[in-house]
Amino acid sequence: MFWKSSPKLRPNGWDALVVLAVIALAAGSALAVWRGAGTARGPGTVIVTIDGREADRFPLSNLLEAPRTYSNNGYTLELVYGLRGMENPPPDHREPFGEAGVRAAWADCPTQDCVRTGLITRGGQSIVCLPARIIVQLTGTGAEDGGGVDAVLG
Amino acid sequence: MRRLISITLALPLLLSLTACFGPPVDPDTVQESIQVIAMDTAMVISTYGKRSTAAAYASEDLIRELESQLSRTEEESAVFRLNGTGTLELGEKAEDLFPLLEAADRYCRETGGAFDITVAPVVAAWGFAGGAEYRVPGKAELQKLLELVDGTAVKVTDRTAALAPGQSIDLGGIAKGYAADRLTDLFREYEIPRAMATLGGNVLVWGNRPDGTPWRVGVQDPARPQEQNAFVGVLLLENAFAVTSGGYQRYFEESGKTYHHIIDPATGFPADSGLTSVTVVADCAGDSDLPGTMCDAFSTALFVMGEERALDFWRNWGGNPFELVLVTEDGRVAVTGGLAEKFDFDTESGYVLEVIS
Repeated sequence: MFWKSSPKLRPNGWDALVVLAVIALAAGSALAVWRGAGTARGPGTVIVTIDGREADRFPLSNLLEAPRTYSNNGYTLELVYGLRGMENPPPDHREPFGEAGVRAAWADCPTQDCVRTGLITRGGQSIVCLPARIIVQLTGTGAEDGGGVDAVLG
Repeated sequence: MRRLISITLALPLLLSLTACFGPPVDPDTVQESIQVIAMDTAMVISTYGKRSTAAAYASEDLIRELESQLSRTEEESAVFRLNGTGTLELGEKAEDLFPLLEAADRYCRETGGAFDITVAPVVAAWGFAGGAEYRVPGKAELQKLLELVDGTAVKVTDRTAALAPGQSIDLGGIAKGYAADRLTDLFREYEIPRAMATLGGNVLVWGNRPDGTPWRVGVQDPARPQEQNAFVGVLLLENAFAVTSGGYQRYFEESGKTYHHIIDPATGFPADSGLTSVTVVADCAGDSDLPGTMCDAFSTALFVMGEERALDFWRNWGGNPFELVLVTEDGRVAVTGGLAEKFDFDTESGYVLEVIS
């Protein structure tokens, strides 16, 4: 038997334990990464760009606590949490079930295009207020395809 | 036996390492994305490849440079100076103005005046220029302004541009298309394998998607402008520029009537042609001369013309090839032959699809 040629290298109980630990660690690491890739669908992040620079970035659910207002170039707009089919966010500040997103509830700009845009719920969609030079983007909702398209004409 | 055990133990280790580092990154899928507010709209430019970051920054510089020449409101711009004095010499940050004026002149003549950059004062009177208040101008006011509308009266030579007395121009109807043409030159220069730029509602797609399939570009349903996922269909495009003009994009209501922003240069009123949107698509990787500029001009002109004239124009046009998606007030989506295979019609949109040959 080849074990006999070097008795000091003969595996014992401790070696078996190390082997088991390594296998468990390897399997655990692999599982963690694979599961991570499979659960990339996050709760959604809102990115606010003002004059071409990122001014704010926060989880969509933060809007459940309170609306947020942004001002630039003499105009102000207010962002609120929204659910498809519901006019107002739920009052209990808990993450509700449904197609959630963000919308501009009001703005004092003359065009009101941002308010007219309505609720955006899919990653990649945006609300634009040209007079205020503010762009609100939604990412990481797990619906990055924006309804199966890369861009929209019109 | 010992080797077998060693290999058996090493495999999970290797597996865990590959899981940590992930698959090798294809340089063609490295992406950079920038947002620019310019030309009275929001633009998003996404570039891919090893030089994507440099190309994205260069794209922003290019857009800013074009705006500094072509803006109607920036006091240092070539257009502002031309509108102010009536004449302009080539040079002094006007290099891009001259090819645009020549293109505008050509499209004005060939569309029978349906596209006209000198309609600017009329558009401004309605409040559709800049941040002005919307209003319905009086008939006498419109009549006086319409007397100045004549794109063929703008004289352009190699070195000088001159307006007729009292005229002023707005290049908003072609500047974004021209910007797309310049962007394609830039993508070539930086050897960008794929890119997508949305310039307001105009879309430039360069190459294909990272997964190798065509870019999917939705055509907004004009009847449901508030819904971001309401399309009449999806265009499957590579190396193409597409523009949509529609009355739903900018409008106001007064005394129960809706007035949109596409003004018919012949009447001074919002075009009432039976169309609710016109989409023009052209290849941007071939030898065509300024295809983006052409699409931009034609989307406006063909909306003004209406379905019948627009399709006649499409059949008889002798310049760069282009294709159309027309959405009509009576619930039809007319797609010209060259796009039929690239248009994924939404059968649940409520429209009837027609393929035009």
